Amino acid sequence: MINVNETSSGALRRLLKATVAAGLVLAAFSGVANAASNCVKGDRKAPYTIGWANIYSVPTWMKQTEGTITAEVDELKKAGLVKDLMITDAQGNAQTQIQHIQSMIDANVDAIVVIAGSSNALDRVISDACDKGIAIVNFDSLVNTDKVTAKINTDSNEWGGEAAKWLVNQLGGKGKIIVMNGPAGISVSDDRRKGAQPVLDANKGIEIITETNTEYNVAPAQEAMTSLLFANQEIDGVLSLGGALSAGSVLAFDRQGREQVPITGENARQFLELWKEKGLKGWATMQPNWLGALSVYTAVQALEGKSVPAFIKVPLPVIDDSSIDSYLARADKFPADGYIYSDYDKALFDKLLAQ
Amino acid sequence: MNRASSSGLYGAIQRRRNRGLVGLYLVVAAFLVLYAVLFPGILTIGGFSKFTQNWFPLALVTMAQALLMLNGGITLAIGPLVSLGAVIAATTMGSAFGVPGGILAVVAVGLGIGAVTGAIVALLRLPAIIVTLAGSFIITGVALILLPRPGGFVPGWLSTLLAGHTPVAFLLLLVILGLWKIFLATPLGLAIYAAGDNPVGAFRSGVPIERVKIVSFALSGVLAALAGLFVAAQTGSGDPIIGAPFTLNSIAAAVLGGVGFLGGKGTMRGAVCGSLLLSVMINVMFFLGFPPVAQYVAQGLIIVGAVAVPAHLALWRAAR
Repeated sequence: MINVNETSSGALRRLLKATVAAGLVLAAFSGVANAASNCVKGDRKAPYTIGWANIYSVPTWMKQTEGTITAEVDELKKAGLVKDLMITDAQGNAQTQIQHIQSMIDANVDAIVVIAGSSNALDRVISDACDKGIAIVNFDSLVNTDKVTAKINTDSNEWGGEAAKWLVNQLGGKGKIIVMNGPAGISVSDDRRKGAQPVLDANKGIEIITETNTEYNVAPAQEAMTSLLFANQEIDGVLSLGGALSAGSVLAFDRQGREQVPITGENARQFLELWKEKGLKGWATMQPNWLGALSVYTAVQALEGKSVPAFIKVPLPVIDDSSIDSYLARADKFPADGYIYSDYDKALFDKLLAQ
Repeated sequence: MNRASSSGLYGAIQRRRNRGLVGLYLVVAAFLVLYAVLFPGILTIGGFSKFTQNWFPLALVTMAQALLMLNGGITLAIGPLVSLGAVIAATTMGSAFGVPGGILAVVAVGLGIGAVTGAIVALLRLPAIIVTLAGSFIITGVALILLPRPGGFVPGWLSTLLAGHTPVAFLLLLVILGLWKIFLATPLGLAIYAAGDNPVGAFRSGVPIERVKIVSFALSGVLAALAGLFVAAQTGSGDPIIGAPFTLNSIAAAVLGGVGFLGGKGTMRGAVCGSLLLSVMINVMFFLGFPPVAQYVAQGLIIVGAVAVPAHLALWRAAR
């Protein structure tokens, strides 16, 4: 009798254990299903408050990017998914950006969209935010940490490599070139330059006369190129790794009365217009401004429980002689010193998120 | 008897020095109260710690700048020194040197660069602004050579210790302010003010002007480099250009705190208060929901206001 009782209670205990275990497994699975994206815990409900932590709002590229962000937020507000957008501008100071993101955590925003002022400096504050279940979408200038919901970018290495390939082809693998870079110590300029190196190494006929490092602005680039023109009578091509740099270079050649040479660049309106006007041999790619809109869209999708990829690689749109007219046709919709970006819509975003 | 009269004199001097700062104290207090109303979380240990951590490096570089301005000098190399401090910390701490070696290296480099700069300014009698401008280019270059792009390593425990959820940074600031107070009581400390206020008079009273200058540049260098060390710990890594904005901000904070450009005028507590205003202002504007463009304008207005209020209080007092 006693024996039987013992066995039945033992069986009951085993049964209980099994039920609890099954429950745990179920809970774990449903947890995954509710919040498949990194950082998102599934406890935040629409409409969401979004923080846009910008490093520096003054450059035209940033203003246009912010334009795509506010346009996207307006769309999402209409859909009842977003209630508020908080914008900060760290005025170029990574330390201030840390302070802003900390304030966004303090204000308990639901998502933070960020362009990093330093690839490493924000790591700790961003992982703090991630721990609090805030969806973090980082684009353009990326952070080091992987404790983010998604990183969105084009490939800067590929940018440099593709630009170098085009120039080498134009020159038939032989000639003297000048390389124009963005500021030293910035990951983006560093990566673009690095991407170009294997192509240049593989073509021994290409000789680099010298390189410039300037801000991504027309005036300093023009000044740098002007002094190089005085010093070098023979220049066969310019490998420029930024649109304003290219415009500065073309203007310098023009003012000095030198014949234009093949040049790479970016979708800066000024460069594209000079390209057409001077009949340049040109090539350009871009960092699409709508990466901002895509980031907001991605953050909201993640908060809504959709699974978004941890890294979204956006293919580089290329502008060449065949497509430049389609860009210049839309030029008047963009600021004179701005960037003419390729078209985007929700279908494109969904396609990119489905990678 | 003697002691009583000297402490009476001390009190009177401190009162007079504080008087010009009352307006600034009021402005800063008003901002702190406003911040606490907008974000009550600041009153918790965690909230207070995070806020003071963001303020701490600015406080340090402001002290580094004020130290020189009180002495009649100025430095444009603060930002690059912060970067270099961060780079050295992030490149040495992961190696065989370890954390103690890294701290020593940062202090040694700050001290060395400061002393050399001071020696050039004092012994060759060159203007500090030119020497430190040149120095800033050299130091930026060296930082970029050591660490061409952000990276390096700072042990996690050090980051957590200095910039975790405890107010260690704030306590360190109190310690440093205490050390400054003690330093001021030494003949060398007193000489900093004397040499800045009236170099000829100080020289005739036996103050070794050159030595004082070199020492203040060296101390300033140590403070800036330590700010870099803290930034490295706070961010968990080194960045060769992260310090750049500190140069202008350190001058702004010191001037805001009533430190004059001509030397001998101003107090360290005022300068530190000025840096606190610059820091709390950022958070208050965030919680008030100012758009970035308005923040630029508001920032300018607050700075002008913070300088104008004390000046007008003084005028009003003089007229009464």
